Amino acid sequence: MSVTIHLHKSQRHLADGKASVDVAGRTVNACLADLIQQYPDLESQLFENSRRLKKNVEIYLNLESAYPDELAKPVRDGDEIHITLILSGG
Amino acid sequence: MLTHREKERYDRQLRIPEVGKEGQGRLKQAKIIIAGAGGLGAPAAFYLAAAGVGHIRIVDDDRVDRSNLNRQLLHWEEDIGREKTESAKEKLGRLNPDVIIETVSSRIDEDTVAAMVDRCDGIIDALDNFSGRYVLNRSAVTLDIPFFHGAVQGFEGRATTIIPGQTACLECLPRGEQTHAANPIIGITPGMIGCIQASECIKYLLRQGRLLENRLVIFDGLEMTWKEFNIKPRPECSVCGKKNRKRHHGDNTR
Repeated sequence: MSVTIHLHKSQRHLADGKASVDVAGRTVNACLADLIQQYPDLESQLFENSRRLKKNVEIYLNLESAYPDELAKPVRDGDEIHITLILSGG
Repeated sequence: MLTHREKERYDRQLRIPEVGKEGQGRLKQAKIIIAGAGGLGAPAAFYLAAAGVGHIRIVDDDRVDRSNLNRQLLHWEEDIGREKTESAKEKLGRLNPDVIIETVSSRIDEDTVAAMVDRCDGIIDALDNFSGRYVLNRSAVTLDIPFFHGAVQGFEGRATTIIPGQTACLECLPRGEQTHAANPIIGITPGMIGCIQASECIKYLLRQGRLLENRLVIFDGLEMTWKEFNIKPRPECSVCGKKNRKRHHGDNTR
């Protein structure tokens, strides 16, 4: 069982420069936990202290918005998760 | 009716089948609000004015600062200290004297927004902060006004088109949180995204092409890629949920 997580550009330096990381898990939450186990520095980029996703983090599962309840979404072998950041600049 | 000067000015786009005289007439009759005369607003305003969108209202409460000039091409060195709306009106009027440029120099908030967007055909979201964007999004959905969203940071930008009653709105996505640091940005990024917003607006007015409805495009200028994500209206969205449910059930009353 393998799921690919595509990191936002600003997070890649915390994952040995990788643009994507293969993880295992049956939910988005489990996949992100595996990601953080491999690259612990990513935790503070993704989560508030209370293990809630940070407000500027968006999760897309197979190119579809996973909001709301992103962490509970089930994933299957071969799925792709994209992490993006909400922008406000103009 | 197009004047002789307008026929000359728009000659090359009148030759496009999707534009033609009828389409050019639609552009001329349209009234578009550009919320923000900054990095996104500048290219959007230039291209809408150049294309002959007949009435453009520019809203901004800021004055030109030297640090704006790397990206806000409406404003030049000699404009430092001027109201951005006045600087924008002067440049756009010189570019195309056949379009009406109206200015509103005040901040967009719950109290001011309704008067600002009154009786317009579309809103370009060229703001630089979340709070104004959410106010504008709510007003657009309530008043059934198409809303052309864009946002940028660094070499990255994003855009989507919100059609009330048919698409997801900004509140259907996670609600972003403002940081108080100056936004790092290079002019090419809002140049790209502001042009996308103007393109969407023109397509909407012409009733041509396929809009970015329920589609969010993310531009990565460093990789030079565009990635497209699907977004869906959330039925429980406090802003658009009720309107989208009504439309879904065939009730088109507004």
